[in-house]
Amino acid sequence: MRSSIPQTAIVIGSGIVGAAIAYFLTRRGIRVQLLEASAPAAEATGAADGAVSVASKRPGPMMVAAIAGVALYRELEHEGLFAGLFKSRSTFIVATSDEECAVLEAHADALEQAGVRIERLTGGALFEVLPALSPSTRLAVQVHGEGHAIGYQIVHRLLTAAGIVVDRHTPVNALLRDANGRALGVETHKGQIKADVVVIAAGTGSATLLGLADILIPRKGQLLVTERAPRLNAAFAGSIMSGRYLMSKGNRKPGAPTPARGLGLVIDPLVTGQFLIGGTREDHGDRRTNDIGAVSQILADAVALVPQLVHVRLLRSFAGNRTAVLDGLPLIGRVPGLDNAFVATGFEGDGICLGPIVGRTVAELVCGEAPSIDLVPFDPARFKSGMVAA
Amino acid sequence: MSEPDIIIVGAGPGGLAAAIAASRTGLKVEVIEQRHAPGGAIYRQPVDGVEPVPQAAAAKRRWQSLSTRFAESGVPVRTHSVFLGIDGDGTFLIDDRDRGKLDRLQPRGVIIATGAVEKVYPRPGWHLAGVSTVGGLQVMMKETGRAPQGRILLAGGGPLLIAVAAQMARLGNPPVAIVEAGDPAKELAAGLQILISPGLFAEAFSYLRTVYRHGVPWLRGHRLVSIKREGQDLAAVIEDRKGSRRRILADRIGLHDGIRPNDFGMPPETTVNRAAPFVIHAGDCREALGAVAAEADGERAGRMMAGLLAHGRHEINELEELVARNRRSQAVLARIFAPVQSGSLLDGLTDETILCRCEGRTVGDLRQLCSRPDPLTGREIKHNGRFAMGACQGRFCAANTAALMARLRPDIPAPAPGDLIGRRWPARPVSIGTLVGVPPHAEGQDEVLR
Repeated sequence: MRSSIPQTAIVIGSGIVGAAIAYFLTRRGIRVQLLEASAPAAEATGAADGAVSVASKRPGPMMVAAIAGVALYRELEHEGLFAGLFKSRSTFIVATSDEECAVLEAHADALEQAGVRIERLTGGALFEVLPALSPSTRLAVQVHGEGHAIGYQIVHRLLTAAGIVVDRHTPVNALLRDANGRALGVETHKGQIKADVVVIAAGTGSATLLGLADILIPRKGQLLVTERAPRLNAAFAGSIMSGRYLMSKGNRKPGAPTPARGLGLVIDPLVTGQFLIGGTREDHGDRRTNDIGAVSQILADAVALVPQLVHVRLLRSFAGNRTAVLDGLPLIGRVPGLDNAFVATGFEGDGICLGPIVGRTVAELVCGEAPSIDLVPFDPARFKSGMVAA
Repeated sequence: MSEPDIIIVGAGPGGLAAAIAASRTGLKVEVIEQRHAPGGAIYRQPVDGVEPVPQAAAAKRRWQSLSTRFAESGVPVRTHSVFLGIDGDGTFLIDDRDRGKLDRLQPRGVIIATGAVEKVYPRPGWHLAGVSTVGGLQVMMKETGRAPQGRILLAGGGPLLIAVAAQMARLGNPPVAIVEAGDPAKELAAGLQILISPGLFAEAFSYLRTVYRHGVPWLRGHRLVSIKREGQDLAAVIEDRKGSRRRILADRIGLHDGIRPNDFGMPPETTVNRAAPFVIHAGDCREALGAVAAEADGERAGRMMAGLLAHGRHEINELEELVARNRRSQAVLARIFAPVQSGSLLDGLTDETILCRCEGRTVGDLRQLCSRPDPLTGREIKHNGRFAMGACQGRFCAANTAALMARLRPDIPAPAPGDLIGRRWPARPVSIGTLVGVPPHAEGQDEVLR
């Protein structure tokens, strides 16, 4: 392992992960050049639901990482860096059918085992805490200590704090490497740029740089924003997540095929008095449009959970592509075969929650420090066959 | 009922002319209109039982001819129907507000004829209650048949100020003053050129005579620089061409700094064959040139669309010539009404001036975002400044925000208002009940803050 701290670094991609890596590297005194194919937060980060949440994570390394991710948001809010950008709130996972109740009970056990503070709400207590919920709700699991943050605001704050001027519209065509397994820098249309280390956090764009086209999958999500509805918003003690979300997110039976369009409902009350309602997980290509079929299905599900939403108006719809990895776990770590190149991508829907903690951990890795989270499960070497064909 | 081949959005002169032209070829055409009747802003019809507001003779004749020809075409109009956009699958979405229901159609062609909106530059106090647009006052007059009550001050620039002042006078409440940035009386040479379109001249002359007869002060070369609330009054500060200032008290103030295409959130033009429908923009929403040009341009769009769908030939040369003639007239008018004072109103604004009324964002907020070393894109300004993110979806602030950005950062390419607004549907806020098939109830409306 390298022990000396590098002086310069190139970070490719200014989504939340790239921005956080750049921030934590800068904090260690490393001169960072942040290269961006278009503009900061232009892709998944700018179209995310903003959940800083353990609630829906699968038990295992993702749940552990998310717990650290939420804790870091709190720490950075306390420190002042994220002041005003992190809304502290609970997540309520709700179940309306036998099947959902069973999945939710098992999930609640897993959360408790991981040390997450939860509460099971049923009957009168349930509607006292969540008066806006449909009477057909059977069970809610309150996951304490979670929050919401808007991805593009976090990116803006990180870049501002680091004093980084992003090289916009500077896509990277290739990594430059020598014969001894070291990265020298990158090739862009503006010419070659050299640095001591290279970090790739380019979302779906990482696929071509690393030869991972078959492993990184764009997974589209559609999201909705309502107008301000302050009274209804005030009746939300936190975000409401349909228990079905757990089923759409990876608690499906092993071997079951991924549906072309999954729908997991989250209704998040925003600080503005608006609601963010989402979303879909769709594996058909790279389209960023919203279709009425998905939008009315999301809203019908939302109204079924919170009937009063029927009176609120929809203000905006948007869509974006998350970068998913074939096996459902992100890629974080050293690029196989390259001593001083690193990758952090493939967070699917968890980039906002995990971005800062991954930024800190990658900076630690780059500087030869002990990583804040265990990166072994996320080691990119598990896909060695595809890595760096260039 | 079979689905229409062509849907026309907006039943003003552009939309109606497009409908007449397109329906001549035998294609099935339908017009959707968000108000209670066709006419658009220019020929706005009164609500039931109200006497129409006196209009210039030429305008009356134009509407009579157009509405008669449209009636003869047999093209149906859906009123109280709001175009929400074309979704990712090419489905055309209509908010049917009478029935609280969503209509989904699959037309082969769409003509967007949503007219113009008024430009209003921000000024300190322009967001106060009692301040509206001049066009807004006019629409209210046309619908209710009554002049706005109390002391009314009209300010900004352009021929609409005179027209509305004259209409108010004829309804018994002339404005306390007209504050006009230009000096049309001085631009004699240009004024003579307006004779190339005699209709415009007659209209302008008749309005001016009325304003003169009622003794309304026409403060040319003046501009309204700020508004304050003082007790029951709105106090407007008016600056003359030498820079000296005075106050005018009013109950209501109408602002108007020109017009621009109302193309906010509309799907872009597309005349190449693909899965989604063809889209053509027509009339003022393509280029704001007024009613006469809009009618010609609507006819052009109708013929073009029919040609695209029927793969036939379409003759539009003479229409393009008519539009060009109006473009020249509008250029003359713009010269006549060109502001006398140098420097844009946008430059002298205080940091506290509200830029985005929905989200309460100020000129200072934008200046701060634009002072960073790295130039932010329109989308970043929108996200981090919350400009164009409110309930009006950017209608009030996007153009001003883009214009101010261009002045603050001349070193980078200026964003278009569309970069701030985006082109996502819904183009207008729509009830969730409508989208899920539950008609709206009266209660619950108070839940909603604008």
